[in-house]
Amino acid sequence: MTSTVDSTGSTDRAGRAGGQDPVIEVAGAGIRFRRNRRGRRTFKDLFGARSRRLRPDQFWALRDVTFRVAPGEAIGVVGRNGQGKSTLLKLVAEVVLPDEGRVDVKAGVAPLIEITGGFVDDLTVRENVYLTAGLHGMSRREIDDRFDEIIAFAEIGDFLETPYKHLSSGMKVRLAFSVISRLEEPVLLVDEVLAVGDRAFREKCYARIEELLAGGRTLFFVSHSEKDLRRFCRRGLYLDRGRLVLDGPIEDVLERYGRDSGTR
Amino acid sequence: MTTAAPIAPLAARATGGRRYRQVLWLLTARDLRVRYSTSALGYLWSILDPLVMAAIYWFVFTQVFERSVGEEPYIVFLLAGLLPWMWFNGAVGDSTRAFLKEAKLVRSTKIPRTIWVNRLVLSKGLEFLFSLPVIAAFAIFGGAQLTWGIALLPLAILLQAMLTAGVGLLIAPLVVFFRDLERAAKLVLRFLFYASPIIYSARDLPEGLHAWAAFNPLAGIFALYRSAFFLEELDWYLIGIGAAVSVAMLAVGLLVFRRTERSVLKEI
Repeated sequence: MTSTVDSTGSTDRAGRAGGQDPVIEVAGAGIRFRRNRRGRRTFKDLFGARSRRLRPDQFWALRDVTFRVAPGEAIGVVGRNGQGKSTLLKLVAEVVLPDEGRVDVKAGVAPLIEITGGFVDDLTVRENVYLTAGLHGMSRREIDDRFDEIIAFAEIGDFLETPYKHLSSGMKVRLAFSVISRLEEPVLLVDEVLAVGDRAFREKCYARIEELLAGGRTLFFVSHSEKDLRRFCRRGLYLDRGRLVLDGPIEDVLERYGRDSGTR
Repeated sequence: MTTAAPIAPLAARATGGRRYRQVLWLLTARDLRVRYSTSALGYLWSILDPLVMAAIYWFVFTQVFERSVGEEPYIVFLLAGLLPWMWFNGAVGDSTRAFLKEAKLVRSTKIPRTIWVNRLVLSKGLEFLFSLPVIAAFAIFGGAQLTWGIALLPLAILLQAMLTAGVGLLIAPLVVFFRDLERAAKLVLRFLFYASPIIYSARDLPEGLHAWAAFNPLAGIFALYRSAFFLEELDWYLIGIGAAVSVAMLAVGLLVFRRTERSVLKEI
């Protein structure tokens, strides 16, 4: 399946990003992966130039994706599993690079992707907060100012000097969300990280996201939950087989997605 | 619950070189903190290792065999090569796992990727600096004379940092694709230990080999270090070629790293 042309590939984004300079600009972006990730590696894989050629064992996870996001927009990404949602999020987070086209993100990003990734088992909660927030670009003074807020939000005040590895998995996610959501970056990327954690904390996270949106942040949200998507997002991107099939108001996108997957 | 603060002005965020240094320092400090919080001896480990090695070679070459290589006092001569070697060996050895060990972090932050190698060069380099008092102590007790060659120490450190970073940047992405390289690198490093003038001097090599030895940049770098105590080690032919090879190595490393970055990020 190299180039399945979707007849309804027309996209609707009239006037949406108009007026302001876009904060995220994705132009003709494509990325390909190896089908068999355990297969033998060659030097060709390694030095893979940015060509449009596809070798037989590769597939395009995303291709010809183009859209612009204005500051303050809240965008939901929908699509079935394996259609490129998370890959798109990683491209916007700039933790993977496109093989063709370009991805331009003009503001700082707070990525809620693999949020527990930066935490070190042997260090204490306090040390980990300074480390992770610092890696994401916060200065020491900024962290000092927000430290109490971060700990209060994570409800982890009694464990400041506990090594991270002794926390429960729920606590780990709470701490991680708390740190990343305090980064004060203009762009917030949320993958389905919030599936963990109890209901009360999830509600708290959602309240925090709404608060950030009210503060003018740009949100990029990947979820399977129509309820959550409707709650946060005004605009939707529908991905199918690595193509951006529809870009429009979230209602239209959900309606189309529901129709395609036959659940409604 | 407080209301969200307005978006921080972008200028307030550290960017470019300052941000690079900030993150580099954070990760280096993290490594040192982890090491010291999980071991009782902490700092001692970074000097114990070269000390034991030096003791072994000192015993073998001054007490068992009749030594005909190196300079007097031999222990100072030996340490002046062995300590920088530990830096090179440690940083290159660790950079085989630079991406694999931190895969989760590499996948979730967009900090410049060369940091994953450079932080290893920096933290092993700091350990090297911390171990310098050991040489000073032996020099005082062994009666070695300090020469003006000590002024070349910064040059030696600079060249070695460039060489080590170059090799690390070359090997780190390659290992992600060819895991066998991890073990191959260890083997090459062990070979290189004896192929470099550490337990002997480049001056002890037979005439025919000397010209070739210069193309091992470590020979020139160790000559620079040793000139602090032994001016006769100062061989500008070795140093000149060693410097050229170090610069070339860094260029090759950066080039390969940039070309492979895209593939590495997909793979880990």
